[in-house]
Amino acid sequence: MQAQSITMAQGTLTLEDIVSKTTDLPTIPAAALAVMREADSPTGSSRTVAHHIGQDQALAARVLRLANSAYYGLSRQIMDHQEAVVVLGMRCVRNLAMVAATYPWMTRPLKGYQLGPKAMWTHSFGVAVAAQQIARKTKSLNEDTAFTAGLLHNLGKVALSIWLENRLSAMMALAIRDDLTFDQVERKLLGYDHADVGAYLGEKWNLPQPLVEAMRYHHNPNGCEPRSLLVDAVHVGDFLTMSMGYGLGGDGLRYEVEPEAVERLKLQPEDVDEITSDFVTEYESYAKMFEEMDKI
Amino acid sequence: MTPTQLLVGMADIQVVKGPGCFTCLGLGSCIGFCALDPVANVAGMVHVMLPEHFKDKPNDMPGKFADTGIAALVQALEKLGASRSKLVCAMAGGAQVFKFGANVANKLDIGARNALAVDEQVKKLGLKVIARDVGGHAGRTMMLDAATGEVKVRTVSQEEKLLCRLRA
Repeated sequence: MQAQSITMAQGTLTLEDIVSKTTDLPTIPAAALAVMREADSPTGSSRTVAHHIGQDQALAARVLRLANSAYYGLSRQIMDHQEAVVVLGMRCVRNLAMVAATYPWMTRPLKGYQLGPKAMWTHSFGVAVAAQQIARKTKSLNEDTAFTAGLLHNLGKVALSIWLENRLSAMMALAIRDDLTFDQVERKLLGYDHADVGAYLGEKWNLPQPLVEAMRYHHNPNGCEPRSLLVDAVHVGDFLTMSMGYGLGGDGLRYEVEPEAVERLKLQPEDVDEITSDFVTEYESYAKMFEEMDKI
Repeated sequence: MTPTQLLVGMADIQVVKGPGCFTCLGLGSCIGFCALDPVANVAGMVHVMLPEHFKDKPNDMPGKFADTGIAALVQALEKLGASRSKLVCAMAGGAQVFKFGANVANKLDIGARNALAVDEQVKKLGLKVIARDVGGHAGRTMMLDAATGEVKVRTVSQEEKLLCRLRA
């Protein structure tokens, strides 16, 4: 069977190999990470956030363009990144910096998962918005951290994609034959899945531990010890984004949703419809922002 | 002349008299529902997201919900001269996540609930659905060419297939 040949071809590739042998791996500019840390710190200041953005001219230019996009509908043009922090606020600019830092590489196609141009971005940004909405609803989570965790949750797919090229059909055949989710197939063939690869990369980037956990456990929130509401929010956000069809690849919706995550977030199943509705409205309104990004 | 291209986004309702090509992109649990009156030459499509509208909230996008979207599509088609009894319909989408873990919460199964809610409306409005490609775990794109009545469905990993012809 074709699936067995995949096992043989990939059997010797360790998780470390995947990361070290993949060329063109994405990076997040150090300035964007510094912005995130500063904005998330209880003693964070707008001035320092502006200073960090200013350390990276490309990042500063993208943030400025996003701040001036039609999405914010400001009556006058923001002239520089310092002003963006003053007008939009430190937290808003923090999220813009994360968008500016990830958009260039997340919009590339990922053939291994049969994700066309922008599909990875569409899905990742969807989970960011959905996780943020869930955090807002539960009131027990930091909305911005939820946004970033959602944005980065599938980072591992970016690294793993090239190794799965031309193999996805056989992997799906195996999933159907053995009644498995797609991440289970990845683990069966490789010994790890895209969530593990993402967490490994996140650690290499020195991302805060809660973000690394959200990447590692986004398909298995019950496996996270102790349980994490951030992981739960990303898991449920991922479920909603898949359900709404945002950026689906060849692996489709072949994943599991753990209802306990919904319960831990103290959401009633009825709330899920409402969050879905609000999430889609918010997501669609962001389209104006990305029109600006494409001009860069 | 190239026929009008109509992209049916989330919660959208699009109708046309005469030729037109409808596309409903990225259907996960959502449902694409199309209808055509071959005599009046009127066709339309709706992209339904959720089964029921919220009773305590204003519903400014009827296409978002199955319980208001199907009726709103029919109404829009009738405005262009279609006759309800002559409408020939098809639907696609309603996919769901592969597994629902322990203590299955049916409420989370948006795809199956959407399909059920659309079926209810079909029955209530007396519509004729001649083909459906519903359920499973793959994302779909649904297309209708009003001129030929051909309804096609494409999934990410499979070839495009002809679901049905809404014209004899």
